Amino acid sequence: MVPYDTAAIPIANPPASSSSSTTISKPPEIDGLLAGAGYKVRSSDLRHVAQRLERLETAMLNSPSQHLSLLASDAVLYNPSDLSTWVDSLLSELNQSQSLPSLPSDLSDLISNPTALDASWMDQQLSPPTAAIPNQQPSQLTVVEEDSGIRLVHMLMTCAEYVQRGDLSLAGSLIQDMQSLLTRVNTGCGIRKVAGCFIDALSRRVFAAGGGGIPGSAYETEILYHHFYEACPYLKFAHFTANQAILEAFDGHDCVHVVDFNLMHGLQWPALIQALALRPGGPPTLRLTGIGPPSPDGRDSLREIGLRLAELARSVNVRFAFRGVAASRLEDVKPWMLQVNPKEAVAVNSIMQLHKLLVGPGLDPAHRPAPIEAVLGWIRSLNPKIVTVVEHEADHNQPVFLDRFTESLYYYSTMFDSLDACALQPEKALAEMYIQREICNVVSCEGSARLERHEPLARWRERLGRAGFRPLHLGSNAFKQASMLLTLFSAEGYCVEENEGCLTLGWHSRPLIAASAWHALPETAAVSPDVAVVGGAVM
Amino acid sequence: MARSNEVSINESKMVVPLNTWVLISNFKLAYNLLRRPDGTFNRHLAEFLDRKVAANANPVDRVFSFDVIVDRATNLLCRIYRPSDTDDPPNVADLEKPVKSESSHTVPVIVFFHGGSFAHSSANSAIYDTLCRRLVGLCKAVVVSVNYRRAPEHRYPCAYDDGWTVLNWVKSRTWLESKDSKVHIFLAGDSSGGNIAHHVALKAAESESGIEVLGNILLNPMFGGELRTESEKRLDGKYFVSVQDRDWYWRAFLPDGADRDHPACNPFGPKAASLVGVKFPKSLVVVAGLDLVQDWQMAYVEGLKEAGQQVKDLYLEKATIGFYLLPNNAHFHTVMDEIKKFVGSIC
Repeated sequence: MVPYDTAAIPIANPPASSSSSTTISKPPEIDGLLAGAGYKVRSSDLRHVAQRLERLETAMLNSPSQHLSLLASDAVLYNPSDLSTWVDSLLSELNQSQSLPSLPSDLSDLISNPTALDASWMDQQLSPPTAAIPNQQPSQLTVVEEDSGIRLVHMLMTCAEYVQRGDLSLAGSLIQDMQSLLTRVNTGCGIRKVAGCFIDALSRRVFAAGGGGIPGSAYETEILYHHFYEACPYLKFAHFTANQAILEAFDGHDCVHVVDFNLMHGLQWPALIQALALRPGGPPTLRLTGIGPPSPDGRDSLREIGLRLAELARSVNVRFAFRGVAASRLEDVKPWMLQVNPKEAVAVNSIMQLHKLLVGPGLDPAHRPAPIEAVLGWIRSLNPKIVTVVEHEADHNQPVFLDRFTESLYYYSTMFDSLDACALQPEKALAEMYIQREICNVVSCEGSARLERHEPLARWRERLGRAGFRPLHLGSNAFKQASMLLTLFSAEGYCVEENEGCLTLGWHSRPLIAASAWHALPETAAVSPDVAVVGGAVM
Repeated sequence: MARSNEVSINESKMVVPLNTWVLISNFKLAYNLLRRPDGTFNRHLAEFLDRKVAANANPVDRVFSFDVIVDRATNLLCRIYRPSDTDDPPNVADLEKPVKSESSHTVPVIVFFHGGSFAHSSANSAIYDTLCRRLVGLCKAVVVSVNYRRAPEHRYPCAYDDGWTVLNWVKSRTWLESKDSKVHIFLAGDSSGGNIAHHVALKAAESESGIEVLGNILLNPMFGGELRTESEKRLDGKYFVSVQDRDWYWRAFLPDGADRDHPACNPFGPKAASLVGVKFPKSLVVVAGLDLVQDWQMAYVEGLKEAGQQVKDLYLEKATIGFYLLPNNAHFHTVMDEIKKFVGSIC
């Protein structure tokens, strides 16, 4: 008898959020039927798009088939949802490729365009790849265990409802029941670990005076972060995708400056340093400013990381300078601390940091302006060439506790499920602890203590748009490399998706993190056209 | 070459609404980029281009969806679509609430296989997510959309095996049972999905599993053979599809060395076993009059009749492939009504 998967929570999708494109209201001139199929075209543009498609068809008929597949392999394509720009760009690619002499035969996808980024990703794999574990069949669950899993979920939801209603004594007794049920559930049962985290989080909320997350030092956080980085591909994907975009943005610049909003162990940067070293035309001068929490015991951990990165840079002949900025909160950082030089190309890199600057939605902004607005403002004032943003693809900032609880239950059960495929210990156990802390913060903290205020990509798009940023699309090359590396180094089940110029990484069709890139429109955009600005002086 | 191309573009533009023409032409364009002459497939680009939607437990138009892993060993995923009485999202624990507690009527369970010529699309492709949602409302059914393994990475019989696995899984879900404690199963699919539906139904009928499939719904099912039929010659390249691309997909799906008379491709051809006496489900076969594969589809209908099987064919003279993807033409509504009647008459 085939053991069917009986994870009590099906691979999840948020019940309350409306991240699917079909539910976001679209401007009236967009063709509604094509929108449902995932394409954004204005009805008035349909004729133009149709003409382009016809021209493409004719051009392709006249083109030998080798050219076509080379076009498909070599051209970088962006944002297929925007049909109008899509057909235009494809047409220009095709025209360009047809005027070139015949291209060399196509190498297999796996070895085409090896970049330094790939190589250093491989170097950073200290242990053998965490390939799928086909032999480790989940033990065939008995009916009793399946029931226990479902019961736990029922109880969790009921408990959350009691908490929502303010019925803390009922919630408390249910928590105790759940804790005893948990001891009787087989540790092989899929739901057990994530249920355990949520029960623990509820328990802290209900029993601990003033609620509360899991206490821990910055040092502990770094350790857990590092193991989360090793155990699953989410952070690697974030780093890799951001680095690719930064590398492209720095093209042609001799002085570049990366501002990293959360240095941690600097895991993201060796790959970028190596890629810059191998840049055709030679590496630029690289400055890295790493922001991180102050070290309590007099150690300057930021500086230590900086020194190690400097050594690496020296070994590959990249002129490098590091500066550490110690701040317990991102909103405490002031732009002057970063000492940005107007001549350098600046990249601002934020991996899972921006959401910490949000406040509860619905709060009166005049009463307590969200730190995010101020920070986005000064990022813009740095005039960055690129801002790379990676965030959780979830709505964990909903004002109603029950909604937040439900959404995070779906989200984290999917994440735990993906972690199950990891065989590395103690990486896996510590990664689980890392995730547990997030869950605790989402469920049991309130007010300024709740930092994990994840919001979905659609909302970040709006927010960044309002703050004066425009998207830089991530294209098919970034997509392909991410897919390939995942195939090589992670368990099967992870999927990369393209979402209107952004890339998401998910587990089994549920996107879990989203990577995007942005640039700021110049703040002096309102200069009148008959005023020439030359070398900074107005003529 | 260019001249006949102009003719074909003009012809195809005259028979479908503009937005449909743009949609299908865009697919055609993308698919041309993905098929390589050496038989390999640019899967990364395919996944990059495919427009997908996440499952959504929040009811939209009174339908919600969630994904389930049916077989971890092959990462076989299904998307389940269920009707909802309210606009409120169901409790996490209620996603698999027994269907009989929500309806005193028999609830049809439609196992759906998306199209894509065995190589393209997924259960979470936007066009198929939309289609499955429609089927829920139309037939008051639960729809189980199978994310089967695709060619050329996974050739025959992988897609059929995945369909069979899901059929067994569906049969064994107590929450899918109607009030009579039975799961009422239909198989449905378009293009390659229709082909898969046939073969899974056949396997159910021939095995001793006792699984009864109540009905098959085949939309423009993908069949073929070595012979070049009249419709293939007449319509080659005229309405979005060419014989050359059909051949490519068969080469990608069929075992190495097999020809198009392999029973997977040609179920009533010289190499196929007879269906006489087989307890095969009642079938509804929809054929588009501008689909170059129609002679094979009509041959399929004849084959079923000659084997004493019950089949209704619906021939839509002016329909092209993909007419059922957008609700902007008469054929769409005709077919939806027929499907509703078909399921209703059996359930």
